[in-house]
Amino acid sequence: MIEVSNLTKTFKLNRQQKREMGPTFTDSTIDAVKEVSFTCQPGRIFTLLGPNGAGKTTALRMIATLLKPTAGTIKVCGYDVVKEPQAVRRRLGFLTGTTGLYDRLTPLEVVKYYADLHGMEESTFLRRREELFSLLDIHEFAKRRIGKLSSGMKQKVSIVRTLIHDPEVIVFDEPTAGLDVIASRHIMDLIRDCRRAGKTVIFSTHRMGEVSLLSDDLAIIHKGKLIYNGAYKDFLNQMRTESVEDEFIRLVEAA
Amino acid sequence: MRTFRTIFKKELIDSLRDRRTLIMMVIIPLLLFPLLMTISTKIQVRQMRRAQEKILKIGLVTNGNAEAFRQTLFARTDVQIVENLHVDSAEALILSDSLDAVMVFAEDFDQEVGALRAGKVRLYFRSAEDRDIGKRRLLDLISDFEKSVVSRRFKKLNLDETILKAVRVQEKDVATQKEKIGKAIGGFLPYIFVLFCYLGALYPAIDLGAGEKERGTLETLLTSPATRFQILLGKFGVVVLTGVMSAVVSIVGLFLAVRQATEIPPELLSAILGILEVKSILLVLTLLVPLTIFLAAVLLSISIYAKSFKEAQSLISPLMIVVIVPVFIGLMPGITLDTTTALIPILNVSLATKAILSGTMTAGLLSEVYVSLILFAAASLYGCAKWFEREETIFRGS
Repeated sequence: MIEVSNLTKTFKLNRQQKREMGPTFTDSTIDAVKEVSFTCQPGRIFTLLGPNGAGKTTALRMIATLLKPTAGTIKVCGYDVVKEPQAVRRRLGFLTGTTGLYDRLTPLEVVKYYADLHGMEESTFLRRREELFSLLDIHEFAKRRIGKLSSGMKQKVSIVRTLIHDPEVIVFDEPTAGLDVIASRHIMDLIRDCRRAGKTVIFSTHRMGEVSLLSDDLAIIHKGKLIYNGAYKDFLNQMRTESVEDEFIRLVEAA
Repeated sequence: MRTFRTIFKKELIDSLRDRRTLIMMVIIPLLLFPLLMTISTKIQVRQMRRAQEKILKIGLVTNGNAEAFRQTLFARTDVQIVENLHVDSAEALILSDSLDAVMVFAEDFDQEVGALRAGKVRLYFRSAEDRDIGKRRLLDLISDFEKSVVSRRFKKLNLDETILKAVRVQEKDVATQKEKIGKAIGGFLPYIFVLFCYLGALYPAIDLGAGEKERGTLETLLTSPATRFQILLGKFGVVVLTGVMSAVVSIVGLFLAVRQATEIPPELLSAILGILEVKSILLVLTLLVPLTIFLAAVLLSISIYAKSFKEAQSLISPLMIVVIVPVFIGLMPGITLDTTTALIPILNVSLATKAILSGTMTAGLLSEVYVSLILFAAASLYGCAKWFEREETIFRGS
């Protein structure tokens, strides 16, 4: 479970960033996320929807302990991300669309590396690796250098790397960004599999198609603030426009 | 410790599979000395032989003087004499390479010599490194001629030539061969060692910092249970190892170069091998380790700050000057290791290496160098660790 309460992240702006904000912007800081609260339940997919620069990645990075909140709290499986970051990371899998892999290593080596970092026992690791390699057909290219693999193959390796330690919570930050249709399909299937396995899944996107295909719960974030938070079913029921996309635009424009 | 080992092992495998790292860490340091020595000795020997064997073309304007000298020149097989030329054309003939030198005897040369005064000889030549041997040969000929004139004068005056010597200096150089050679090459060696420490650490530092950031692997690594300090330490260990390895390989290369050099005289060779004794080299290496830690921390800090491999390269480039300048200062005459210079990183290693190789290092100064290097290494590592903790550094530009 992920419990986010009154989460705020403020960034200091340097001179160049201030210039980029335009002449009317006079502050020296910016709230990338402001007083955001939501809960992600196990066995459900929580979608964080928002336009580019809305604060999705910042929020997810705070959940993944990469950034420290300026205010508010985040608990992952009951552990505070600031006070017990390592306990959180042990229970967390993290995958983004821009996730890279080590080109000079083989899939076997990369997966073993992350298993070791998670302190997995050898027997558990071998069993889990076998399971995931078979599921994603990785055996045939497991000993090839990653730099020589296709993007689809790389994506499969990324998935195994994310799931090798069987995390309770999985964070997907725009996981399909920049991927082709087939690789995107792998990710979508993976997210559904995680739900089936009772994992807590949070994923961010700005693609409406993915929202309707996957969401159990939905939060819409715009300029760092939540403008919608609830069950996706309820969102559909209270829509004032024809489509999810139109409703999203209506909410963003109204905010 | 287990996490550090895991990260270190992975980073090492990753780095060793990088062709650039291998080239900088093994190939160049190993081949540089043998190649440098072989090529430079071959060229030098060839040039010297050519200059010595060359038949010098000398323009001679005696104005009817120094007939004995003229005859001596004509009798030689290694010089070709050209006469009947005008003094005004001397410079042009030398510049156009028609002649190697022109000797012009003053019109009153014989008269002056006969009056027991010095006769004037003007020597036209073109100074350049490869022509110096020719000039020396010519001066030797004149010197021989002068000696014979002086000898004749003494005989004529019925005097013993030894009366010219009023003081006889007996030199006793107490410097050992090791000290002399150590001081001569001791300035050059730290330059190479420090440079290789830096170059060996350079690519892994960029790759494991900015490279990892650019590839998008750092973010995922930071979500693993490893602490930032463990991650940094693993990377740091590899950067230090490659830097030190590069210096070690360059020492191996140096040994190979000295061993295979056939043109070095045996006494000189044994003196060089004497200063490259295992004890001295190990002592130098103990200085290079903290220095590499210091350099690695600086390199990694810059690399982690950079958004991309390319940016890291451009940010790190000026650092080369910071590394080279103190080493160059160490090469300057008069700059020695003292209580002040022992505190300045890089310069202290340069001067200490010189002192170790020449056998003049004192325990007090060596301790001061160690303390300075260890403090700088610890401070830079601490700074690098703090830098790596900063969100603004890790997520700069993303």
